[in-house]
Amino acid sequence: MATASQLAPKQVAARAAEGPVVLADHLTKRFGDLLAVDDLSFSLDRGAVTGFLGPNGAGKTTTLRMLLHLVEPTGGSALVFGRRYQDLERPAARVGAVLEAADFHPGRSGRDHLFSLALALGREIDGGDWFRGRERAAARRVDAVLKLVDLTNAGRRRVGGYSLGMRQRLGLAGALLGDPDLLILDEPANGLDPEGVRWLRDFLRSFAADGKTVFVSSHVLAEVAQTVDDVIIINKGRLVTISPLAELTERRTGTVHVRARGAHRLQAKLEAEGLRSSLLDGDELVVEGAPSARVGEIACQAGIPLHELVPESSSLEDVFLELTAEEPS
Amino acid sequence: MTDQLLAEVRKMRSTRTNLGLLAGMIALILLTVLLNGLIPKAHELATHDNQHALLSAGTAAAIFAALIGVMAITSEFRHGTIRPTFVVTPHRTRVITAKVVASLLMGALFGLAAIGLSFGVGYAVLTIRDIPLELGTGHVIWLLLGTPAMTAAWAALGVGLGAVLRNQVFAVIGLIVWAMVIDNLLRGLVPSIGGYTPVGASAALVADPADYVLAAAAGGLLLLGYVAALVAAGALLVARRDVT
Repeated sequence: MATASQLAPKQVAARAAEGPVVLADHLTKRFGDLLAVDDLSFSLDRGAVTGFLGPNGAGKTTTLRMLLHLVEPTGGSALVFGRRYQDLERPAARVGAVLEAADFHPGRSGRDHLFSLALALGREIDGGDWFRGRERAAARRVDAVLKLVDLTNAGRRRVGGYSLGMRQRLGLAGALLGDPDLLILDEPANGLDPEGVRWLRDFLRSFAADGKTVFVSSHVLAEVAQTVDDVIIINKGRLVTISPLAELTERRTGTVHVRARGAHRLQAKLEAEGLRSSLLDGDELVVEGAPSARVGEIACQAGIPLHELVPESSSLEDVFLELTAEEPS
Repeated sequence: MTDQLLAEVRKMRSTRTNLGLLAGMIALILLTVLLNGLIPKAHELATHDNQHALLSAGTAAAIFAALIGVMAITSEFRHGTIRPTFVVTPHRTRVITAKVVASLLMGALFGLAAIGLSFGVGYAVLTIRDIPLELGTGHVIWLLLGTPAMTAAWAALGVGLGAVLRNQVFAVIGLIVWAMVIDNLLRGLVPSIGGYTPVGASAALVADPADYVLAAAAGGLLLLGYVAALVAAGALLVARRDVT
């Protein structure tokens, strides 16, 4: 596996010339009367884990499928590594995808499922004649990914007997067959137990640590909050916001509780900085719409010692819900 | 293309679908041959046409071969494996072509097994009952080579039908209703077009003695035409439709 740091300068230059890993440009999809994706533009850079968030029906799945040439855009374009997916030379060697939890034939073994995909992927021919060489190369790759997702012992069993978590990992194994630089996952945490969610989180973090890119959708921010660096939030097919997760955290509109001797003096200082607050009880203040850090800094500058500084945090989930709430029209 | 073909063959080998079809086919053909070979009186079996009916029971493999093709494509839509398949090979026509070729091969094998079974068992029954073979060498060769050619064609036809309909239940029912009911009715009610239906055209490939049957070359070309039309329609539709 080539990590970013191991690439030759020529390869680095070639990759830079490809532009962003994913580029959606005025992407639009209409299914009959339903405008599933509406003029959506965003791009992903190399080496980050990006969460693709929005309520159910927001257009996440349709967008991901347009990136993979499963769904044809009505307008705009979807590019991966600077090209349409179908124009990539060996697309599955650049992009791996897990789109549904159960895209398997229940009567086929997990290993055979992967084997047919590995053969279609057509990796190098591993010595021998045209047939045995291909079989051998595919077998090597299949055994490697089975081990990677911890399914070596279950590989020869039929998928019908797999648990949901095992199916998720088998799907991931299929996505990893081509040793891709970009991983696209649609709602991967759906139905996973906490242990499975943690396993997935650790896996994605280490995948991205290799300089690779992850694009993961979810309708629950909390599921991916510990995994993603950036978030793209969409609602009703339209872009709501693109930002680093950290900024999203700061953007929350909660209040801050402050206890300080001389609270009324602090209130005046805050007022001078344009922050509204109300005095509760002698030495207790409630400041509205300010990050707690800012309140602390103002107090420090004014030389007012704080006894308590408590952000009355609306949770990340509240921010998410607020951003994707119905807009009054 | 070789890669996709190997992948499709692997898919066919790795479920029990085709084994089930093979078992069903063998049971049906064996039953037909034994009933046709043991129940009629010796003088009845001494006629050319009745011997053809007895020994060509293996042509029933066509419907099983068509099911191989239907299952090869519709089970991918049914179980969602079409998504990973198309993500790995976004050139969908390449996937359909590989399925057609893999089904042709599997269909020919089924046909070979079927005609070997019906001819072998049928001939053994005739020999045991001391009934001389009334079919000429040419006729026998048509049976032995025409049957796998015909079943290969039906397997490809099945891929085309499955690609057009996508829904497994509709495709299987549609195939069986056409081949067992509508086609029979057409040939029975309008004998003048009997040689031109898919089943009628297929009969030309196995030297079927019925009156309406076309010459082998004409029937073969017509069958090929049906296959090409259905496969082309299926490939076009699959390439155009969104995979959701």
